[in-house]
Amino acid sequence: MIEFRDVHKFYDKLHVIRGIDLSITKGEVVVICGPSGSGKSTLIRLVNQLEILSRGDILVDGQSVASLRSRSLRQLRTQIGFVFQQFNLYPHLTAEQNITLALRKVLSITPKDATLRAVELLERVGLADKRQAYPAQLSGGQQQRVAIARTLAMRPKILLFDEPTSALDPEMIGEVLTVMRDLATSGITMLVVTHEMGFARELADLVVFIDQGVILENAKPSDFFLSPQHPRTRQFLRQLLSPLHTAND
Amino acid sequence: MGGLTFDWIGVLGGAPLEWLELGVLTTLYVTFAGFLVATLIAIVLLGLRISEKQIIQWPAITVVAVFRNTPLLVQILFWYFAGFGLLPADWRAWINDDHSWAMLPGGVGLLTPEFLAATWGLGVFSGVFIAEEIRAGLMAVAPGQREAALAQGFGHWRCLGYILLPQALANAWQPVVGQYLNLMKLSSLAAAIGLAEITYQVRQIESYNSHALEAFAVGTLLYLAIGMVMGQILLRCGPRSGTMIRGGIRRGP
Repeated sequence: MIEFRDVHKFYDKLHVIRGIDLSITKGEVVVICGPSGSGKSTLIRLVNQLEILSRGDILVDGQSVASLRSRSLRQLRTQIGFVFQQFNLYPHLTAEQNITLALRKVLSITPKDATLRAVELLERVGLADKRQAYPAQLSGGQQQRVAIARTLAMRPKILLFDEPTSALDPEMIGEVLTVMRDLATSGITMLVVTHEMGFARELADLVVFIDQGVILENAKPSDFFLSPQHPRTRQFLRQLLSPLHTAND
Repeated sequence: MGGLTFDWIGVLGGAPLEWLELGVLTTLYVTFAGFLVATLIAIVLLGLRISEKQIIQWPAITVVAVFRNTPLLVQILFWYFAGFGLLPADWRAWINDDHSWAMLPGGVGLLTPEFLAATWGLGVFSGVFIAEEIRAGLMAVAPGQREAALAQGFGHWRCLGYILLPQALANAWQPVVGQYLNLMKLSSLAAAIGLAEITYQVRQIESYNSHALEAFAVGTLLYLAIGMVMGQILLRCGPRSGTMIRGGIRRGP
C-alpha cells in the first residue's frame, strides 16, 4: 500500500530524513513515534507531497509519488486523508461546509449528496448537532473530530495523522482517540504520528521509532514496549512513560 | 470687525443650489465609476501579484510602486492632459461628440474627457492600494489553511478562490472600505481638471457671491453624509463579518 524506498529529505543543508525504508500493507495501522525534531512529521508529509522528496521514492498503491505533478498529484491527494495537529478547519465555513466544500469542488459531488455525506459523518464522530457551528464555536476536541469527518468524507484509501491530539487539552484527547480507535478497527490503512503510547499499544500493527531521520526500531507493539532493541528507544520509552524518574539516567 | 453673519439662502437657493445638486450627482457618479475601475484593477493586479511565476509578478510590482508613490493630483493631471492626448484622434473626436445615451440622470455627461480622466485616475490609484491590502490579508491567513486545501486535492486557484481569498477579504475588509471612502473623498481633486463635482461647485459659489464659509460648510457636510452612508453600506456588504467568528482558533503549544 505504501512503500518508502531510501527516502531522503533536505532543508538546504539540513538532512532531516536519512534513508528511510518502510513497507506498509493494506489495512495496517502504523504508529510512528520519536523525539521532537526526529523527522516523523516530515515523513508522513512526504507521502502526500506536502513536502517534496529530495531523494528516493514513495510508492502508494504501486504508484511513484516523486514523479507526480499537478493533476495526477491532486488526484492522489484526494485518496490520502490528512489530519493535522492544528486541525486546520476553514474558519469561514460551518462544520458542515468544511466537509462538503472539497466534495463539491474537488470530487464534483452534487450538493445534496455532499450534505448527506456530511450529516452521516458528523453523526459518526458524535457531532450531529454541530452542523451549523463555526470552528471558533467548537472546542479543540470537537474541531479535530470535524477535521477527521472532513477527511473521511473523501473516502480515502489511506489516513495520515500528524500528532492529532498534541494540541488538545488532556480531557479532550479521549474523544478524538475514540474516533481514531473506530477507524483503526475499520480496516483502513493508517499512518499515525503520535505520542499516545496507549493508542500504539492497543491498536497499532507496527510501531516505528525514528530518531534523527533514521528508523531505529520497527516492531510489533508487544515487542516494541516489552523488549525494545535499541538503547535510544529504551531511553525514549522511559522518558515518555515516567518522565519524572529519568532525569538522572 | 462685525460679528459673523450667515446667509444660507445664498448657498441653498437659486443657482447655487442647482450647482450643488449637480455637484453631488457628479461626485456620486465618479465615485461609483471609480469604484468599479478600482475593483477591476485590484483584481487584475492581485492575480498577477500572487501568481507563482516571477515574470508575471514584476509588471504588477512596478505598477503598484509607480501609482502608490506619486501624488494623485499629478496622476489626474497626467491622464487628463497627457493620457487623453495619447488616445487615437478619432477616439478623442468620438468622446467629444454629443452622445445622448451617455448622459446620466441629472445631466452629468459620462463621455467627457474630465469624467473619464477622473474615473480612470481615481480607479487606478485606489486599485493599487486595494490590491496590496488584500494581499496583506492573504499573507495573514494561517499557512495550515493552504496545506489543508492542498491535502484535499485543491489546485492553486481553487484553493485561493474558496479558502484563502474569503479569509483574506475578511481580514482586509476594514482597510479596503477605507480605500473606497478615500476614493470618494479624493474625487475632490478632480476639480483641478474642471470636473463639476462638489468641490468645484463650492468654489464656483464662493466666486459667485463670496459665501465662502457657508459654501465650504455645506460642501463638507455633503462629503460627510456621503461618506457615512457609503461606509455603512460597504461594511454591511462585507465578507461574512457577522458570522465569521475570528480569533477563536485554538493554537497548540
